Amino acid sequence: MDVIAALGELGLGGRLLTSTAAVAAYASDGLAAFHELPRAVVLAESAQEVIAAVRVCHDHDTPFVARGSGTSLSGGSLPNPDGIVIALNRLNRVLAIDPDARTARVQPGTINLEVSRAAAVHGLEYAPDPSSQQVCSIGGNLAFNSGGAHCLKHGMTANHVLGIRAVLPDGEVVDLGGGSTEVAGPDWTGLFCGSEGLFGIALEVTLRLVPIAEAKRTFLVAYDSLERAGDAVAQIVAAGLLPVAMEIMDELAMQAAEASVKPNYPKAAALLIVELEGETDVVAADAVLLDALLADSGAASVTSTEDPEARALIWKGRKSAFSAVGWLAPDYIVQDGVVPRTRLGEALVEIGRLGSEAGLRVANVFHAGDGNLHPLILFDGREPGAQERAEQLAGEILAMCVRFGGSITGEHGVGVEKRQYLELMFSEDDLALMGELRRAVDPEELANRGKMLVPLRDRVA
Amino acid sequence: MTASPENPAEVQEAVRGASRVLPHGAGTKPALSGVPGDDRAADGHGAADGHGAADGHRAADGETGVVCLDLRALSGIVEYDPAELTLTAQANTPLADLSATLAEHGQYLPFDPPLQAAGATLAGAVAAASSGPGAFRHGGVRDFVIGVTLVDGTGRLVHGGGKVVKNAAGFDLPKLMVGSAGRLGIMVRLSVKVLPAPRAHRDLAFVAPTRQAALELMGRLGRGPVHLDALELDEAGRLRVRLGGAEEVLEDRARRLAGFVGLDPADPVDPGEGQGHGARQDTGHSDSQGDGLDPIAWMPAGSRAVRVVLNPAQAAVLLDTLGAVPAPLRLSLGANLAWVAWPGDRPLEELDRRLTKLGLAGMPLTGAPGPRPLLGSAPGGAFARRIRAALDPDHRFLEL
Amino acid sequence: MQHHIATEELGPRAEHMTGPIEACVHCGFCLPTCPTYVTLGEEMDSPRGRIFLMKEVLEGQVELEVAQPYLDNCLGCVACVSACPSGVQYGDLITAFRAHAEPQRHRPAGEVLQRELTLATLPHPRRFRLAARSGRLAKPFAPMLPAALSSMLRLLPDRLPRQRRLPEIWPAVGTRRARVALLAGCAQQVLAPEINWATLRVLAANGVETIIPRGQACCGALAMHTGEADRAQRTAVKNLTAFPRDIDAVLTNAAGCGSGMHEYGLLFAGTPEQARAQELAGQVQDISVFLDQLGWVAPPPALPRPTRVAYHDACHLAHAQGVRGAPRRLLAAIENLELVEPAEWELCCGSAGTYNVERPELAAQLGRRKRDNLLATGAELIATGNIGCMTQLATHLREGDAELPVLHTIELIDRAYRRELTAS
Repeated sequence: MDVIAALGELGLGGRLLTSTAAVAAYASDGLAAFHELPRAVVLAESAQEVIAAVRVCHDHDTPFVARGSGTSLSGGSLPNPDGIVIALNRLNRVLAIDPDARTARVQPGTINLEVSRAAAVHGLEYAPDPSSQQVCSIGGNLAFNSGGAHCLKHGMTANHVLGIRAVLPDGEVVDLGGGSTEVAGPDWTGLFCGSEGLFGIALEVTLRLVPIAEAKRTFLVAYDSLERAGDAVAQIVAAGLLPVAMEIMDELAMQAAEASVKPNYPKAAALLIVELEGETDVVAADAVLLDALLADSGAASVTSTEDPEARALIWKGRKSAFSAVGWLAPDYIVQDGVVPRTRLGEALVEIGRLGSEAGLRVANVFHAGDGNLHPLILFDGREPGAQERAEQLAGEILAMCVRFGGSITGEHGVGVEKRQYLELMFSEDDLALMGELRRAVDPEELANRGKMLVPLRDRVA
Repeated sequence: MTASPENPAEVQEAVRGASRVLPHGAGTKPALSGVPGDDRAADGHGAADGHGAADGHRAADGETGVVCLDLRALSGIVEYDPAELTLTAQANTPLADLSATLAEHGQYLPFDPPLQAAGATLAGAVAAASSGPGAFRHGGVRDFVIGVTLVDGTGRLVHGGGKVVKNAAGFDLPKLMVGSAGRLGIMVRLSVKVLPAPRAHRDLAFVAPTRQAALELMGRLGRGPVHLDALELDEAGRLRVRLGGAEEVLEDRARRLAGFVGLDPADPVDPGEGQGHGARQDTGHSDSQGDGLDPIAWMPAGSRAVRVVLNPAQAAVLLDTLGAVPAPLRLSLGANLAWVAWPGDRPLEELDRRLTKLGLAGMPLTGAPGPRPLLGSAPGGAFARRIRAALDPDHRFLEL
Repeated sequence: MQHHIATEELGPRAEHMTGPIEACVHCGFCLPTCPTYVTLGEEMDSPRGRIFLMKEVLEGQVELEVAQPYLDNCLGCVACVSACPSGVQYGDLITAFRAHAEPQRHRPAGEVLQRELTLATLPHPRRFRLAARSGRLAKPFAPMLPAALSSMLRLLPDRLPRQRRLPEIWPAVGTRRARVALLAGCAQQVLAPEINWATLRVLAANGVETIIPRGQACCGALAMHTGEADRAQRTAVKNLTAFPRDIDAVLTNAAGCGSGMHEYGLLFAGTPEQARAQELAGQVQDISVFLDQLGWVAPPPALPRPTRVAYHDACHLAHAQGVRGAPRRLLAAIENLELVEPAEWELCCGSAGTYNVERPELAAQLGRRKRDNLLATGAELIATGNIGCMTQLATHLREGDAELPVLHTIELIDRAYRRELTAS
């Protein structure tokens, strides 16, 4: 019996998709440059169905990919040709919230923002906020250790995942961690987070919640150069302030945002967004310090607001920036490198130089507080050679990040897209160990095969 | 036999040359760094003075065939730029050295690891996952370790993570080292995130009428309007709260907190330390070292300090179970952790059984080592077994 | 997205299809606002999935027949356009694609008959009135009829309101501040003639003279959105000449008609009428937008007692025309009226033109979901800007034993002026 027939015996009915149109819709995720047709898609509605589907795949030596909302920017849920997609988007319930313990137990397809919506009645929220938070799922966040604009203070997804029930690639179910912020014994939960689906599929996740800050003040600061904006970030940190977010957008990125959601940003070469949150008194006191500091930072203008609607618009502009670049050019590549934050200015100059050498426009949007760059390389795919030049430029930017002591990815993950650059960061031994860890858990390399690590079979061939 | 490697290459060599190997630093947590079955490794928490533990390790040789790796030579800050809010150091740099350097720049280790005065090292804090009370504000050890260089069970030198605050490349080996008790790899270098230290502190204590009320109040405070640096329920049943931040608003915040709690602040007297009365304010001091919140100093002489990890919902049942022994405990980090003073005359196996029954896990830090460092129900199952097998295929490291 | 579509074979509608496909970056921001994705939970029933499928069909990678069911599921609510950060004009794409694909598809006889029935009656007031009367007689037999027909019947009110012939001109009260032409609409005239009368009275009270051009016809939106471009053109072309140029605006009071007329440029693309069609489209405004911009002569008097009103966003106002603020501002100007917002404002109620006839089960699921969200606000009254939504909401409220009134925004304002607003 082949794998499709075996899946057919799971009683999924219309939730086993095999028609060409249905599987075609699953060919790509948020990285549309890559597409592969899976053999079938399983629309799971329970953890039992996920486990059963994984076991069938394992028994038939068939690779499988878990998919939540399909928003990965590194091709994290790109199907394998002849593989199976296990769609988790219907497993989208918040199972329990314990307000005193400040935890939420959710299914993996739960939309990131829905966790905060469900927790709001208790005065709590889920802190990690990727720009796609209204659509991306917790399972995907967990697999790729997603970040967001507010990592500076709150950390990344892995810092907020306390426990995982997961099915390993051979169908065995394990419990990692629990409901505590602390660990006794090795942090297996921490290792599973960010493993890009290579260790299996999360079935149930316990998340840490944080109190909703009673005051939030967002500053919009205009500068006549990116360097000045970058310097201001360093000054803010040096002054001992701990904003919850510090973001920078350059002129091109602002143009895109303006064309898209019209956030009414001031006209400037660089825009710095700084957000303070916390107790009313503390935010007020910090705002005075910050105001004085920004006034001395060579800013062209400084405004700030606590108004929820005005703040929402500022963030909408920022969070739409990637997709909004679609207004400026037919195609783009978004990168996700990290540099030490003290080298931001240098890195931006270098990106500018590399971009003009390649004859390509680069828009910059970044989590300045974390040194996490998001250069958006604009090109027109219909122009011969343009895509190749863009890809080469992307590689050069990542190499620069590593040279500066940073990382090739801050929050999007390696996926299919940055696999070739992993060796810039890690030695042969490092990668060998990662491969051994992967195969210790999944000897046949069935789970999300081809992401992050080159499968052994491909290296031998 | 003891080896005292002076650099990563010598650690690799030592691992390759041994059939069984156990690393240690200053020996402040002998329950983890001592060879099981060797009672001389330490007694009570006397090792907390930082001396003698290493002798214990030496004595272990011959009896078990375990090579004890004294890693104290791997010490020193490698890279620290205050503007980066990150620090890279050789793994066994004493925490006190790190704290002193950070304090010069108004920064601190937000996970507040204990036993600093006794000489505890960074790798020791990571291996024990020993987050102190001050970790309530920003998170524990697992939230701040961002990079590691380690020697695995085959003697390979490997890196994981990096030295920037945000990084999603490759498997998160740094997190895996947290709580690994020297049994998954030997850390030789670590990178951690650091943060600006609160400029001033104010400690408050409250006495709730009943234990149930105290636990409920703890839950309420955790999501209350005033953000706390520490939230503990001490062994005497008092809620101990620390506020940290700018001095000019501390007074108002303390008043607001008292209003929210609806109880008058009690005297936060510390039996162990004889701390002064009333609310305390101390600038230039950003962790709980040696003060009334120290998680170990309060413990009766002769008891072993055991970290027990829990969900706040399990606090009451843990208090019941250990109260019956009796073994006093302090709920820390808003009841995500318990510091248990396990009586020195009771076998650890008993605690192991009790924790297993409750589905909880713990790890002793001080006192003689038990057969395994991990007590109670250890999660991880097949995943843990397979990862361990990959990191240590020849079983050079001791059992977890 | 990059594509390999042979654009030269697609005719004048080509760029309305390739443009949106090129602009889509596959980010998925449209997913949570799409009523079919939210209900069905399948990628091919999402805007992103449909764009991909249309691309594949146009490239010849996927056969039209296998993709069609998913494309047919689309309500055309264009909530995805509101959610899209890349500016993908999905409405243009699906309308153009449906027009492109319709001649190539083979519909079963029953479906053809039903479409024919719908499109031949709904847009024609006299025929619709006749059909509705006989339909009323058939209501008791609804459970025995095929789903599509019975759902049509369920939407009919128990009694049809009395009809009065609309005047050709309705003068302003006091000084004339503006002069407009009104699209009278088709199904709305039969189901809720009061909306037009309310429009005339409110406009007059605010110094606006309204003309109702005699030669006007159905706007064509219903046919256009179901892929019947020729049929749409045949009726819409009458409006190109019927509406005069020398007026301040062409007003619509049904969201679907307004959005349909805004699309005249696309409907007449590549025809000699294109320029006039674009000109007319540029004059079209929803009644709420016009009134909001003009400003009150005097707002309606305070309601007799505090009344909680939930405003329901019609997709073809909120998403297709980007109108959300104007009706809210108008309502909020009435003293004692407390405006409340239902959850999931962006989700379609399931009416969507002929959708609740063609996909009754899905439409009913959405209708119930919308009803629950509206009831959760604790409102005593619901205001909205589209006859289709009003019918759908009333049906599902009735079926849920919730008898709160559903009024057109302009009706509510009119009743407030006439001090006739009593919620229950």
